[in-house]
Amino acid sequence: MRGATATSSPARGGRPRRNRADTKAGYAFLTPWLLGFGLLTAGPMLMSLYLAFTDYNLFRAPTFVGLDNFTALFSDPRFLKSAQVTAVYVVVGVPVKLAAALAVAVLLNARHRGQGTYRSMFYAPSLIGASVSVAIVWRAMFIDDGVADRIQQLLGFPAGGWVGDPDMTMPMMILLAVWQFGAPMVIFLAGLKQIPAELHEAAAVDGAGPLRRFVSVTIPMLSPVLFFNLLLETIGAFQVFSSAYIISGGTGGPADSTLFYTFYLYLKGFTEFRMGYASAMAWVLVIVVGVITAVLFRTSRAWVHYTGDVR
Amino acid sequence: MVRTRTTSRTRTAAVQVTALAAASALALSACGGGSTASAEAAPVATDRDIQLSLVWWGDDDRAGRYEEAVALFEEKYPNIDVQTQFQAWDDYWTARSTEAAGQTLPDVMQMDLAYIHQYASNNQLLDLSDQLGVNLDTDGYDDGLLASGAVNDGQYGIPTSTNTLGMIVHQDILDELGVDAPEEGLTWDEYDAWVREVSEAGADAEPRVYGGTDYTGTLWLFIQWLLQQGKAAFDDDGTPAFTEEDLVAWVERTQPLRDDGVFYPVSRTKQVEPLTGLQVNEAATEMTWDNMTAGYSANAGTENVDLLPVPTGAEGSSQFWKPSMLLSASSTTQEPDAAAALIDFLVNDPEVGEIFGTSKGVPAVAEQRDAMEVEEGSIDDKIVGYEDHVAERVTADTPLPGEGYGVVEVEFKRLGEELAYGNITAEEFAEQWFASAEANLGGA
Repeated sequence: MRGATATSSPARGGRPRRNRADTKAGYAFLTPWLLGFGLLTAGPMLMSLYLAFTDYNLFRAPTFVGLDNFTALFSDPRFLKSAQVTAVYVVVGVPVKLAAALAVAVLLNARHRGQGTYRSMFYAPSLIGASVSVAIVWRAMFIDDGVADRIQQLLGFPAGGWVGDPDMTMPMMILLAVWQFGAPMVIFLAGLKQIPAELHEAAAVDGAGPLRRFVSVTIPMLSPVLFFNLLLETIGAFQVFSSAYIISGGTGGPADSTLFYTFYLYLKGFTEFRMGYASAMAWVLVIVVGVITAVLFRTSRAWVHYTGDVR
Repeated sequence: MVRTRTTSRTRTAAVQVTALAAASALALSACGGGSTASAEAAPVATDRDIQLSLVWWGDDDRAGRYEEAVALFEEKYPNIDVQTQFQAWDDYWTARSTEAAGQTLPDVMQMDLAYIHQYASNNQLLDLSDQLGVNLDTDGYDDGLLASGAVNDGQYGIPTSTNTLGMIVHQDILDELGVDAPEEGLTWDEYDAWVREVSEAGADAEPRVYGGTDYTGTLWLFIQWLLQQGKAAFDDDGTPAFTEEDLVAWVERTQPLRDDGVFYPVSRTKQVEPLTGLQVNEAATEMTWDNMTAGYSANAGTENVDLLPVPTGAEGSSQFWKPSMLLSASSTTQEPDAAAALIDFLVNDPEVGEIFGTSKGVPAVAEQRDAMEVEEGSIDDKIVGYEDHVAERVTADTPLPGEGYGVVEVEFKRLGEELAYGNITAEEFAEQWFASAEANLGGA
């Protein structure tokens, strides 16, 4: 986008010579990234777009099948199951995670001794959360007689690990995601710091209590940051893979309860050798995430307030 | 004018450079390669350095054994350097399929009956027929066993060892419960009744123990059961030779045990993966390939395990030998002669037989079998003894799975799991599996 503006600006006059040199230098600096993007991202994406319309098993040359892969998707019960599993994860997981991140950010925003230490401590899980080892530990916590099982027995709930229970694996996965609230939390914290103290003071003078100030001052002032986090987390949640892979032992089980969209895509491509089908799935995901992002942007006009925005 | 000439001269120069580079590349590859996959087999060269890659699936234990065997090979052929790599079963096939797509399969690899058709009929593997009698000696082989590595008249894999299905019995658990081991030669129904008896006896044990694990989702056991009724598993084109009704019957016959919670619970199975109920000392029997006994015993922490034949049907046991694994060479290898020599060494050398013992199954070649130092009463001894003992029960030919078998085997297991969770009926099991078979078997 910026490149396009830069190249078109000389035509409008001003400082053409200087600009052209800048543009060249700019592209020169961009070259490593452009090469990487072209070879490792754009190239494979175009290839997968082509493969989505073919039957390709990795061994034989792809044969063109038109829209067959796409039509087959919607009569595949496991595809529908994977879409459902992912939808639940996104719709429940993202708001819960954002709420947790915001709550912790508000607590860490207050002035206390050693607040810096707390911030680091709360951020730590996110640094390691996506790693394989944490997924392994998570699994260990939720098996029979694991930490979670012990706690629920203490509280008088029926015994039993969550790992082997298809009804409990989704809450387990969502908890793992929520626990990694650090990234949105830090962004929220930065957003909170930007809210001018005068607004809170003025509201307090007008007799608003803490809750009222949170709802009427903090939330609107924070809405751009909230919107940013919502977008990022939603897109990220659609792509959940590695934790599900580890926790289900590479099967998406038990009984397909952790068969996330990207995971089913992987199974189709690399264990069933249906690369065409998997590519079609990938493009459906791109389109769905694109549409959801567009819808979020549309609705954002109604609830996101930018400071100095006079629309 | 001038400008054009410069350009054309530059272009000519560029073409010349390219041609030169191509020619030297050819020359280099001729020097380095010696022969290509299509060239005639010749005794492996000893006058130049050769690099080979070798991959297998397995655990650390197997890796240690392979390293030892490879060191011996490199001692015998000082000019050959073997690079090794290994993965666990699932990752192994993911890596190989990706390599196959990029035409970069390793020179020598462990191969399985479930995948050999897929790789061979897509021209990924080297036909070793030319190498027989040159670098590869198969005189010690049983013809039927060797044939399991043949696809469309080519010899694409050499079986390293054999196994057959068996029932592993955890004697410690049975002793504790005071229950006798199942009798040899019992029928499937009698076995199920025995499992029920043990699970009832073990209901109050801490932790609770069970008579056996649900075997319904194991495709090979279903095939075994079919053979025992005089039915065939697959047609020549690799498609199922049985009907949906056969499959429904197989699934329904174990339904009462699932309904009554007699089998080792699937929720436990999912939690102890990749181990199994028997390996965590909570199930008394399990049916699997006999060479698995060593690993099972090690994980359970007891040598007090026994091997029994699988239950019988109308046609007796109808057990069959299966190559527990094969060795194949890649069709893109630059060193077919050396690759064949490595395979030859791994399957024939007596010292290699001693190194591996029965960990890959009982060695296919007599020299390797005889070289094993089998301690009386050891697990190796039990496995060798079992294969000797069941030899008379082995009456069926090896059912040769065709292309796509690996995929439908995974699907069979997954449906077995859905069944155990009570999510599908026997009819749905059969219907869904046949849908997968139609999409994947017979080179579809």
